[in-house]
Amino acid sequence: MADDQRKMLPGGQGTGVAQMTTAGAMPARQLQELPRDELETLAEELGLDPTRYKTLQHLVAAVHERRQMIASMDREAMLDVVKWGRRPVPVNVSKEYLAQEITRIRSMRFEGLSQRGLIALAMLRGVRVDPGDDVPTLIRRLRKQEGFFSRLNRKRRALIGSIVSNMIGEDSGDSDYQFLPPQPGSSPAAAPPPPRPGTIKEEIEDSGLIGGIAGRIKRSADTYLNQKLDEIEARIDRKLDEIDRRLAEWRDKEIANRIRILKITLWASVIVSLISLLYFYIRVTFFGR
Amino acid sequence: MPDIDLFNFFRYLLATIVTIYASIITFQSLYEWYVWLAGEDRYISLVRRYVIVHGLRLRFTSFWGDLLVCVLLCVVFLLVWRAHSIIGDLDRVLHG
Repeated sequence: MADDQRKMLPGGQGTGVAQMTTAGAMPARQLQELPRDELETLAEELGLDPTRYKTLQHLVAAVHERRQMIASMDREAMLDVVKWGRRPVPVNVSKEYLAQEITRIRSMRFEGLSQRGLIALAMLRGVRVDPGDDVPTLIRRLRKQEGFFSRLNRKRRALIGSIVSNMIGEDSGDSDYQFLPPQPGSSPAAAPPPPRPGTIKEEIEDSGLIGGIAGRIKRSADTYLNQKLDEIEARIDRKLDEIDRRLAEWRDKEIANRIRILKITLWASVIVSLISLLYFYIRVTFFGR
Repeated sequence: MPDIDLFNFFRYLLATIVTIYASIITFQSLYEWYVWLAGEDRYISLVRRYVIVHGLRLRFTSFWGDLLVCVLLCVVFLLVWRAHSIIGDLDRVLHG
């Protein structure tokens, strides 16, 4: 069953199920027992910058606080963000996993994201959120939080993305989002998921030139491979059906042949027994014993 | 000198040899199939199930006529055998 669940995640996800389930229920006192590097990785996954915390205790407290915040967040709002960011997740995963997916979203194009989604995104990006904040305010704060150099880099990547998009031709990546099939019991992996299916321009803007193109190539390769695997599977099925049909024919022929041999043997036996009977009758009637 | 009927001698000799030979060959073949299909190997288990499935999918309608002929021939053979006994009894009555 676990294997089947992992197969649902493209790109080889499915290695961190246990990590997700156990990390989600790990109390603070166990966090302190974690090695520093693991704790830093966990903090990064939850959207924290571990370099801001000088001591282990501060980091543990921050992770614990972040988990409490995630637990108090609106699940539907988090699903809104996941849909907007087109992250590949099942609909029934834990809030902590949703938060990890949301922290991987780097996009700054907030079109199509609901207000509650914006609030969830802002909270996970460490932006201050007030109860009465409207959408423009939230977007302004998120943009402000991005920082000058990050924005500059993003614009640069967007420019490169436009150039590449014009060079290789744009395809529409605005198909409807679909959750992965629900996974009973546990959350899927924390391994890096495949790039979200957007336009090449958006991918380059989010992941950089190499990352965007690599993601696109990987997705194309995945699609091609899946198509070829389907063709191979269909061919194997046809071949198996053919083998099965031939075996059935062979079986029928073999049985018919055996029965024919049996019939010939029985005919011979009956004929010989009739001759014997005739011989016996003549001998008894005319010659005596 | 014993009075040996050559026809009867040939008949009984042939019947004995052929019956023993056919029995040995049949049981040997059945035993080899049994040993092969009783293997613990995963693929043998697959083949075993496949053979069972083929057995269940067997269509008797395609050779039921031949089977009927075989059954009738067996009945005729038994009747002829019984006729031998009756003629034997008749011989005993007529000639003591």
